[in-house]
Amino acid sequence: MSVAQLVPLIILLPLIGALINGTVGKNLPKAVVGAIATGVMALSFGLALMVFSQLDKAVEIDLFTMLDTETFSLHARLLADNLSVWMTLIVTGVGTLIHLFSMGYMKHDAGYYKFFVYLNLFIFAMLILVLGSNYFMLFFGWEGVGICSYLLIGFWYGDFKNTVAARKAFIMNRIGDLGLLIGLFLLLFNFGTLEYSELSAAIIGSKVDLSTVLCGITLCLFIGATGKSAQIPLFTWLPDAMAGPTPVSALIHAATMVTAGIFLVVRSNYMFELAPMTQDIMLYIGLATSIVAAFIAMRQNDIKKVLAYSTVSQLGMLFVALGMGAYTAAMFHVTTHAFFKALLFLGSGSVIHAMSDEQDIRQMGGLRKKIPVTHLTFLIGTLAISGFPLLSGFYSKDEIIAHAFTHGTWLYVALMASAALTAIYMFRLYFVTFHGSFRGTHEQEHHLHEGPASMTLPLIVLAILSVFGGVLNLPGVWLHNMAHWMSHHFEHNVAGLNLIKHTAPEGNMALTLMIAASVMSLAILVVCYLVYGKKNSVPVADAQLKGWEKLSANKLYFDELYNFLFVRPTEWLSEKGSRYFEGMFLHRSVVGVGQLIGKSGDLVRKWQTGRTDSYILWMVLGLIGLVVYFLIYKYY
Amino acid sequence: MELLLFILPVFFALSVLVMPQSVVRTYGLVGGLATLALTIVLMANYNPAAGMHSFVSQEWIPAYGITLNFGYDGISLMMLLLTTVLVPLILLSNFGRELSSNRLFTSMVFLMQFGLIGVFISLDGIWFYIFWEITLIPIFLIAYWFGEPERKAALMKFFIYTFFGSLFMLASLIGLKSFAPSFAIEDLKAVTLAPEVAVWLLGGFFLAFAIKVPIFPFHTWQPATYSKAPMAGTMLLSGIMLKMALYGMLRWMLPLFPEALDCVTYPIIVLGTIGVVYGAILAIKQDDMKRLFAFASISHVGLIAAGIMTADKDTLSGSVLQMLNHGLIAVGLFLAADVIERRLGTRSLRELGGIAKQAPKFAFWFAALAFASVSVPFTSGFVGEFLLLKGLFSFDSVIGIVAGSTLILGAVYTFRAYQLSMYGPVKTSAFADLSLSELIVFAVIIIAVVFLGVYPKAVMDFVEPSVTDLLASIKQTPIVP
Repeated sequence: MSVAQLVPLIILLPLIGALINGTVGKNLPKAVVGAIATGVMALSFGLALMVFSQLDKAVEIDLFTMLDTETFSLHARLLADNLSVWMTLIVTGVGTLIHLFSMGYMKHDAGYYKFFVYLNLFIFAMLILVLGSNYFMLFFGWEGVGICSYLLIGFWYGDFKNTVAARKAFIMNRIGDLGLLIGLFLLLFNFGTLEYSELSAAIIGSKVDLSTVLCGITLCLFIGATGKSAQIPLFTWLPDAMAGPTPVSALIHAATMVTAGIFLVVRSNYMFELAPMTQDIMLYIGLATSIVAAFIAMRQNDIKKVLAYSTVSQLGMLFVALGMGAYTAAMFHVTTHAFFKALLFLGSGSVIHAMSDEQDIRQMGGLRKKIPVTHLTFLIGTLAISGFPLLSGFYSKDEIIAHAFTHGTWLYVALMASAALTAIYMFRLYFVTFHGSFRGTHEQEHHLHEGPASMTLPLIVLAILSVFGGVLNLPGVWLHNMAHWMSHHFEHNVAGLNLIKHTAPEGNMALTLMIAASVMSLAILVVCYLVYGKKNSVPVADAQLKGWEKLSANKLYFDELYNFLFVRPTEWLSEKGSRYFEGMFLHRSVVGVGQLIGKSGDLVRKWQTGRTDSYILWMVLGLIGLVVYFLIYKYY
Repeated sequence: MELLLFILPVFFALSVLVMPQSVVRTYGLVGGLATLALTIVLMANYNPAAGMHSFVSQEWIPAYGITLNFGYDGISLMMLLLTTVLVPLILLSNFGRELSSNRLFTSMVFLMQFGLIGVFISLDGIWFYIFWEITLIPIFLIAYWFGEPERKAALMKFFIYTFFGSLFMLASLIGLKSFAPSFAIEDLKAVTLAPEVAVWLLGGFFLAFAIKVPIFPFHTWQPATYSKAPMAGTMLLSGIMLKMALYGMLRWMLPLFPEALDCVTYPIIVLGTIGVVYGAILAIKQDDMKRLFAFASISHVGLIAAGIMTADKDTLSGSVLQMLNHGLIAVGLFLAADVIERRLGTRSLRELGGIAKQAPKFAFWFAALAFASVSVPFTSGFVGEFLLLKGLFSFDSVIGIVAGSTLILGAVYTFRAYQLSMYGPVKTSAFADLSLSELIVFAVIIIAVVFLGVYPKAVMDFVEPSVTDLLASIKQTPIVP
């Protein structure tokens, strides 16, 4: 089959899976439901691989026209190029593994079929997002993944807390969406189209100076990205989103959906290149997010919360890369991050599963002997994210940091600090969870067990990818033939402008930077082992924390601040507006008009006394009045 | 053929009164489906490119300039479609409900349909006014006969308020007629007015429409009436009747007074936009579900009204699409509120919780409606809102952004309502899941909404040429300096 036939199938398969399970899944055995959902994903991934191997140039596939007016058209059209197919591989590949994992993880859940329906639907929406050929399709998928995210965060809706988290996520995303929508409007007004190919032709070939226009547009797009990819100020929803089942956190809130913002910027890279101000804003926001989130992660004790803040922090680092114009480096890190963060989340899921739904690492400890596969794979994930030499995260993070070095020393130092924090909280998490002695209840200890093969297999596969993922874009220091594969792969996507020439240092300089990074991560590993691993020290209760630790444990009070600034004023307006403005002022005014008419009737009615003498009095008064009037009229 | 549009509703309104009690409901449903079938036939035979299809056009009372002028174009057809789809759905949603007299109820619904159809196909000012007022009678009686115990004050307010507004429209019509040979819309359009006169005459129309839509701050009758009227009344009001006013703005207000548009466009758009935000903010903390949806409705129609006033082609098409969408969703949401109230005897969000666990089918369809109401992709609201916001944004970027807040606030109040009633621990006694008739209503609405969301072109093909004609007549009119 040709690419044009395969790509629609890739998108349709998850939808078909969702429809089958949605209609009859309730009455099917769980194994069948899981097999259908996972099967369509595996098939979709297989087709994506076929497309990947066949793709030699960008292919546009027309589906149908949604709307066609004189001024603009909205097409349901797909675009298969290196960038979109790469994203498709990540989404379907990691997606398949997480579906497989969920078959074991959700086995005892009453809403089993519903879970897989939502999961399939999410993949469907995500594929529309990455494979659409225009910003409207992107927005379509963008909102679609938002719904699925809402449904999955609130999956266990019996607990009201979870649904609050779901609503928060949806609303904060919507704030970003409004920005994105306005960006779309601006694109339409200025260029009359939302198609990627037409836009890039119009903008790159433009003779006029577009920098002001593009600055506005890119800022709007970036606001959208801050919502979906959890950047300051719209990041607080992501840690709360951990209320969802852990496979959801792995798939949506680590590996795929949250990277949509990165994808958006890479897709629009030529616009950002022409809007340096937005690039700078993006860089600073990304850097601030990266450090703030890493700081908060230092004193979190919920295993998933640590990973969530870690995701926010890594996404921040990705935006720094985008702000520097290092698009390939960003895509490289998106890819490796998808591997090791999915691995870590699934690993944490495996831990939670083993610990009978316990998430507090203070209640864990010494798990390395009880669940060896989880332990080993989690360790690999931890090493990868901490930049341990030669693992995937080492290469991808190093590439971003090397770009920062050329960009400015201060940025290099800041990113190294962020990377150091990452290594510290990750090793802390690892040692407290897996080393020392077991601190949970007897019952939990009794139940401790490794999950079924459906759970361990994805862990192993992801662990292998986390180790070797770096091969995708080796720096040119050694193995010259294999180096920079990814850079070449995306060359066409990011070479819209000739001015994109952001280079990382080569040769000895690169080697020096890598050695510096290695030394740092190894040093942190040793220190963390001494502090948390060997001494068996357990984090103390939040109430006892002081100074920076208290700030970190309380998430820098962002939630409190937002409540004070936005939530409570809106609720106050709603309540008072309803009672005073609507109930008293508007209501009274309307009733007042009615009463005015009634009152004026009352006034006139007083004259109708029915007494002859008063009528005669009024007649005489009237006559006198007339006489006076005419006299005045005549003589003056 | 076209005359059946008048004959069918009247026939069913009268004949249902003599039907045996046991078959009244089925008979009503058959009647509703018959008019729906008629609309579909008319749609199939209509060529969008042909413009206005006028099927009656003759003099009637020449002394007063009143003519018999009826016809429809793509916009009218969409309104007819909405009316004839919603009437059977409204009848169907009442299947499980005990009413004191099904005969009178069904008869009144058909009388209402008669009036609505008349409004959508009248091309003579006096007939438009007559049908406009006819609709007030059945809706008042439905609410009066079958409404909640403490309905009287709210109904009086509703009746007097809307009637009061309509009289100004009549006055404006007569005023405009003094410059024209007849009340026929083409004659009225041909009149060229001095802007200062046009503004006053337009004001009369606007007052009538603004109260009925309702546009902020003329909405105070609405939340009370919606919450006190019986479900069918609320559905008729929110689903179709307020579309009358939006349709009136499109068909009558814009084309008759292009001279005045320069000075009224901006204020009306601002009022509509205030309504978007105001309705949404007040909806956030409502406890009564019906009141919550009533304020939400103010927010949604404010956006449509503002969009209409931009007099921009895409935006007008979007507003027609959004009218269909709002009609369908409003009916669905009020049915959801009613499903809860009928089973539990309350619609207070404070007292509800955990229904999703007890009634999964209801939870699914209600959720689908909630999503449609916040205009997610794959629902018609997505495209409709896209077009409307785009129009407002190009009119004035600040207004576009303020109106765009509906994206955020809409999610806040809709999901709050859903969350409080459906999620969390179970708070109420047993909750029977949806009956077949309720299920059908929900399913039809969602299928329609999803179809329009994926393929809005189906509606746009009807609407766009008509909107182009309509705008052409505005632009052609020379403006007296």
